[in-house]
Amino acid sequence: MATHRMHRLLTVASVCALAALALMTWQLFDPRVFPVIVAMSLGQVLGTASFAAFGYVVFADLRARLTAAREARTIKTDAE
Amino acid sequence: MNLPTQPLAVIALCLAALSATIVVTYLVTRPPLVRATKLWLLLGLGILPIGAAFAGNVQGFEATKEREFCGSCHVMALHQRDSEDRSSNSLAARHARNAYFGSANCYACHADYGMFGTVVTKLGGLRHVWLYLTEYRATPIEEAKKTIKLRNPEKMNGNCMQCHSTEDLVWLKVPDHRSSLDDERAGRVSCASEGCHGLAHPFFRPPKRGDR
Repeated sequence: MATHRMHRLLTVASVCALAALALMTWQLFDPRVFPVIVAMSLGQVLGTASFAAFGYVVFADLRARLTAAREARTIKTDAE
Repeated sequence: MNLPTQPLAVIALCLAALSATIVVTYLVTRPPLVRATKLWLLLGLGILPIGAAFAGNVQGFEATKEREFCGSCHVMALHQRDSEDRSSNSLAARHARNAYFGSANCYACHADYGMFGTVVTKLGGLRHVWLYLTEYRATPIEEAKKTIKLRNPEKMNGNCMQCHSTEDLVWLKVPDHRSSLDDERAGRVSCASEGCHGLAHPFFRPPKRGDR
């Protein structure tokens, strides 16, 4: 995955995390039916999506690095 | 809107604030995706929000037991007001004045107490929210108080008996208790009926089987 795509995905994850945190803290200030339900549903979904996106970026980055390292090793072996 | 003072709420707020600080810093500075950035983001997008969600959810579940929460749907406002009325003699108000139940008196009397009582109670609460959204949201309070009824009135004695066991010798000395003991325990005679301890809420319509 290209670096700019990773950063874009992380930006989306960050915005989702901020929205989730806002929803989760709203229920603490206003513990009525709808803030509590929204925090426990939409808030959780956004937070989970944000963490999943972060996990995906880390995994994709790791895979790209491993692939690059393997290719570098192959080129070096071929050159030898 | 109140400032939360409960320890769990404060913990949730602190974790959320720390997480937001890390995330906003990332958005503003856009550092390269090196190991340190990933570790900071693991904190900001993972560990801290999960902690905030956990503390916030526990706090949220506790909030659902409060009378203020039940009364936040307008159709419950009369019941809430009656419970808070120091001069009211309804069963609900008398239980609200008991420090053991206090502001959680709705939950104390309406919760399920079985093995999965909390889950069943929460599912029942979600059903209430659904009914509120689909049927009662725009219903005037005067009309609502005529149509809202207990769904399983025969179960209510079981909730009374969580505290009033019907085994106490003093309780058994009351002739009315003794004479209808089996019916009370089976829920065939309601503790909260006009002939006994009075209706739980002054605006309460005695329920019929099959009512919602």
